[in-house]
Amino acid sequence: MIEPLKVLIVEDEALLAMELESLVEEAGHSVVGWATSSAEAKAMVDSTEADIAFVDIHLTDGPTGVDVAEYIGEKKNSMVVFMTANPKRIPDHFAGAIGVIAKPYTMNGLICALRYLQEGVRRPPPKSVLPAGFTLSPAFETVWAPVP
Amino acid sequence: MIITDPRQPDNPIVFVNDAFLRLSGYERQEVLGKNCRFLQGPKTDKATVDQLREAIAEKVDVSVDILNYRKDGSTFWNALYISPVSNDRGELLFFFASQLDVSDRKRSEHRITADKDRFEKAVKERTRELEAALEAQTTLLHEVDHRVKNNLQMISSLIVMQSRTIKDAATRKSLATMLERIEALSTVHRRLYQSKDVSRFDVADFARDLVTDLLTASGRSEIKSTLDLEPIVISAEKATPVALMVNELVTNALKHAFKEKPDGTTAGRIGIKMSQPDGHFNIEVSDDGVGMADASGDASFGMRLIKSLARQLHADIEWRDAGPGTKVVISMPNEPQQKGNVS
Repeated sequence: MIEPLKVLIVEDEALLAMELESLVEEAGHSVVGWATSSAEAKAMVDSTEADIAFVDIHLTDGPTGVDVAEYIGEKKNSMVVFMTANPKRIPDHFAGAIGVIAKPYTMNGLICALRYLQEGVRRPPPKSVLPAGFTLSPAFETVWAPVP
Repeated sequence: MIITDPRQPDNPIVFVNDAFLRLSGYERQEVLGKNCRFLQGPKTDKATVDQLREAIAEKVDVSVDILNYRKDGSTFWNALYISPVSNDRGELLFFFASQLDVSDRKRSEHRITADKDRFEKAVKERTRELEAALEAQTTLLHEVDHRVKNNLQMISSLIVMQSRTIKDAATRKSLATMLERIEALSTVHRRLYQSKDVSRFDVADFARDLVTDLLTASGRSEIKSTLDLEPIVISAEKATPVALMVNELVTNALKHAFKEKPDGTTAGRIGIKMSQPDGHFNIEVSDDGVGMADASGDASFGMRLIKSLARQLHADIEWRDAGPGTKVVISMPNEPQQKGNVS
């Protein structure tokens, strides 16, 4: 049994955050916080400890998700996965994030992504196949999914 | 025409013809004995005058367009040609000067230059406007795309949340089927706007995603899939009906095909084959399950859905007994759609 993940949700849509929280908890993980803006997210990064932060690009204060990812990257206390309907907004270097789950994702896609991330964080590299709808950043692709 | 005598002080005019008098508006006695410079005025180009002076000093031919003034103060463009005339011994005797009023030509030259500038400015202005409009359109497209994706995600979330609160198994099952259909639409939308060309859709890639997703979501690891997918690109407007149809067929097979086989196992295999023989696009969804006899209420709605979508796509659809199991074969034309033919 692999240790479950502590998850931070950075998402401006309450409905999506709610559902994501339920799914994360159903999969046996825990949610340590939910932020809707970049300021809230940064404060939460400082005050909580998460293994994974799911970060939407578009937050209540604009397209500030990349900022949040960079802030988390400097703190080095958790890893970032973007979750966005607008993956073209992500810079080529992914601001240090693992990758992106493109919206709209399927519920199963998300469950598979959680399992994949759990393996990747606790016992890298992940054993499961990369779930459909999950794209790794170039940096993580070389480590987690090297081309044989 | 004018003739001047350079051997007299200040090179005065010694002969003028009537044409020159008509052109300049002077009387003969007013110009004889004078240097030609009285034709110049405030707007005459100094550099052109210098050019004339140099040519005269060096005793060579010169041809210029110069702005000259009439007696009444009005101006005209003068195509002036001056050439020195010498005797047999090489001594300079006269300068011969011919004038031609080229005001009309000059005016059209100016007009053309002005028109060209104006057009260039107008084109630049219009280009700027179009670029701004395109940028606004692109932003709008991204915004709408973003909103559609978010809304699809919210619809899925609402269904899942609602479903959690429902005790009745049949209602939950029905919501789960609805979720599958919406997720099929979502997957189309995600894939469509991920690609660079939003008008084309790779249906083989979609099928691979869909089957993997449905199989793992069903949690029935004993059911395996066989995918034989040629890369097939269809137009975007066909993407949704094709995707929904494939979703229906695969979920139907998953739900109804694999009850319990005569040998007592529930294992099975779902196969999808996509190919495109000559202008056609074929999809085969097969299973090695219990066969077609079994059809629940939901299956019959699914069946109606499949048949309607097939009609929309002008597709032929056929259920075959694969013994064991069922094979559904869909065949449709895959030619570029005529514009204006979209219903």
